[in-house]
Amino acid sequence: MTSIGTGYDLSASTYSPDGRIFQVEYANKAVENSGTIIGLRVKDGVIIAVENLVHSKLLVPGANRRIQTVDRHMGLVRTISLFLLTVHHMSILQASAGFLADGRHIANRAREEAGNHRDTYRSPPSLKTIAGRVGLYIQAYTLYSSVRPFGISTVVGAIDKDGPALYVIEPSGVFYGYHGAAVGKGRQLAKTELEKLNLAEMSTREAVTEAARIIYAVHEDNKEKEFELEMSWIGDETKGLFVPVPKDLKDEAERKAKEAIEGDFE
Amino acid sequence: MDHFPTNWGRPRNDAYDAYGTFPIPNRPLNAPKDAFGEGVQRTQQPIVTGTSVLAMKFKDGIMMAADNLASYGSLARFKDVQRLQPVGDYTVIGAGGDMSDFQYIQSLLDDLVVEEFTNQDGHNLGPKEIHEYLSQVMYGRRTKINPLWNSLLVGGFKDGERFLAYVDLLGTTYSADTLATGYGAYIAQPLLRRAVEGRAGGADALPEEEAAKIMEDCLRVLFYRDARSLNKYQTAVITASGVSISDSKALETSWSFAEGIRGYGAQTQ
Amino acid sequence: MNPMNTAAQPQQRQFNPYTENGGTILAIAGVDFSVIAGDTRQSEGYNIQTRYAPKVFRLTDRAVLAVNGFAADGNMFVKKVKQRLEWYRHAHAKDMPLHAIARLIQTMLYGRRFFPYYVYNILGGIEDDGSGAVYSFDPVGSYERETCRAAGAAQSLVQPFLDNQIYFKNQQPAPGTAHPAHLPLPHVLSLVIDSFTGATERHIEVGDGLEIYVVLAKGRDLSGLEGFAGLQEVSSRSDGERIFVIRRELKKD
Repeated sequence: MTSIGTGYDLSASTYSPDGRIFQVEYANKAVENSGTIIGLRVKDGVIIAVENLVHSKLLVPGANRRIQTVDRHMGLVRTISLFLLTVHHMSILQASAGFLADGRHIANRAREEAGNHRDTYRSPPSLKTIAGRVGLYIQAYTLYSSVRPFGISTVVGAIDKDGPALYVIEPSGVFYGYHGAAVGKGRQLAKTELEKLNLAEMSTREAVTEAARIIYAVHEDNKEKEFELEMSWIGDETKGLFVPVPKDLKDEAERKAKEAIEGDFE
Repeated sequence: MDHFPTNWGRPRNDAYDAYGTFPIPNRPLNAPKDAFGEGVQRTQQPIVTGTSVLAMKFKDGIMMAADNLASYGSLARFKDVQRLQPVGDYTVIGAGGDMSDFQYIQSLLDDLVVEEFTNQDGHNLGPKEIHEYLSQVMYGRRTKINPLWNSLLVGGFKDGERFLAYVDLLGTTYSADTLATGYGAYIAQPLLRRAVEGRAGGADALPEEEAAKIMEDCLRVLFYRDARSLNKYQTAVITASGVSISDSKALETSWSFAEGIRGYGAQTQ
Repeated sequence: MNPMNTAAQPQQRQFNPYTENGGTILAIAGVDFSVIAGDTRQSEGYNIQTRYAPKVFRLTDRAVLAVNGFAADGNMFVKKVKQRLEWYRHAHAKDMPLHAIARLIQTMLYGRRFFPYYVYNILGGIEDDGSGAVYSFDPVGSYERETCRAAGAAQSLVQPFLDNQIYFKNQQPAPGTAHPAHLPLPHVLSLVIDSFTGATERHIEVGDGLEIYVVLAKGRDLSGLEGFAGLQEVSSRSDGERIFVIRRELKKD
């Protein structure tokens, strides 16, 4: 960040001379530093898994979920983030607060968009529609000096009229569809692992195991911090609803994940 | 409950007759009408209407029934309309009165159910909550003099408890073991009460098969006597195992008796 | 004008936000108790909508409200009164006194002077001085404290009976004696029961069930109540005013 201090990073409405918008890049940095989220679009559904970093032992386990539900047929996760207005305002405390607030805000916006679509067309929206609308909203926060961009990347998954779908919306407002997506601190390793999988042929049940394994694997680089694995899925087994993965299945996947990691060490 | 949705929520003329001694206080106006002669604007009137909804408690839950007709005045306009609607996992609502208002109510409830689902807080809407919500919506709209022109039955089963209640365009609510709206309040309610109140043990002693039989008998009588009814209907059963709404069924009817009636069929004098 | 002749001239046909759901309520105050009762039938025209829809509600440990008229307005009104009493409890850490509830109800009713709650209210309970009290209201909030009051469909049947039996109207006391100002509880309860069985006989909108709430002043014993069939205590504590409810059947025809 050689340009820090040059004055071009004070506002989202100012380009630097080489055509960058630093506020948006800082927002991306905020995302990069947070716990990893992966999404897998497989044969019959979508699964989203989160490395939910526990910043205090005082938090109630299982509360403070990072995955939120947007609509009956759609789950949404947003990553993390430190939001930075300027670099020196960054601190862990602000980070988690900013992240929670941004994420909830965007989840609520997505709910509104889904509701409006249903009220207008009497049919559920496609995931692409929602990703597009949320993308437009996020993009609007990259245009003005009076606002800061959202410090989150949003992973959305659903089964819609065209089948399983998975999108990631970035702080700039761009969104891409994926077979397998990863954001946050461990995204590089996670992407490498995802690429090895034959996602198009995989069932959601198999994907649960893989997702847990990948989250546990990427957490190896971040071992000093406690984390909770959080997984939600939609598929043939969930009656068209995006719901948390059942406890027995998740426990089994976590057990296998821990085994796999120990296997790697030996 | 007046049979004619058009008369619902209209004055009862009690000024003339404080003790209701007049035979039919709500007799509809059947004289020729001139649309311009009345020279008034209506606040609202129902356009496409559904007739009676019936419901009763039985041993294991709630049974509801409604025919598939939506009338346009005296015209049998839509003959494949579903007037029983599941809401959430434990509840069915049945509607008489204006069908477009009912569709609006359905969309309100759909939004409500989605909102509760997205909260993911482990709470589920049961029939009590849905009935209370509807009561507040209906009463709120009547208070704005902009009513939703319906009479609704809410039936459900949750946490081992049966629930059955009524709410209408005035926000009037009540609960009972047997309920009927529209013409059914006159024709079916006495039959339903005889079957339930007249039975030792009441609704708790009524098995599902018998409830279904009573329900069908009531619908048949209604089809014979209510000119705005249809011999095609659906039933809903809500028990501990959830909600099930049947496919449309046809009523077995017999008209042979009519042959012997003067002025009908071959015999004209 | 003949009500059947409605086709003869132009008429205004607009939505009527009110209806009348029948039933009757009544309350009688004693020296150190108050009795508030209502039948449980809810009707519209000739239809019985339900045989059990309560019209009498416990507000606090010393206040009971009976509501009669348009049932939807009644239910909403009771809901709002209860809400105001809860806010009062949060603000002052005690229950609102009876006379204050009476004034609150008048304010709430008058607040809707130009779109009234179409309900007749009777509030019964125990005052701060320990006396039994009855307050009666019209739909727009006029109110007064009385010894007894009947309202609703059979008001015109029951009130004259109470005037005669409680105020001793048209009765001469025996020479050298005076009519009592207050009657004992057992006597009051039998008057209430007789009022409702009588109203049930003569009025089609009254019947099915009877709920009698009895509020006893702090420290008063239960004499006059013990052994009553269908008696149930509904007070939240036993060291203050106490509330009981007696549920009985009325004829269902």
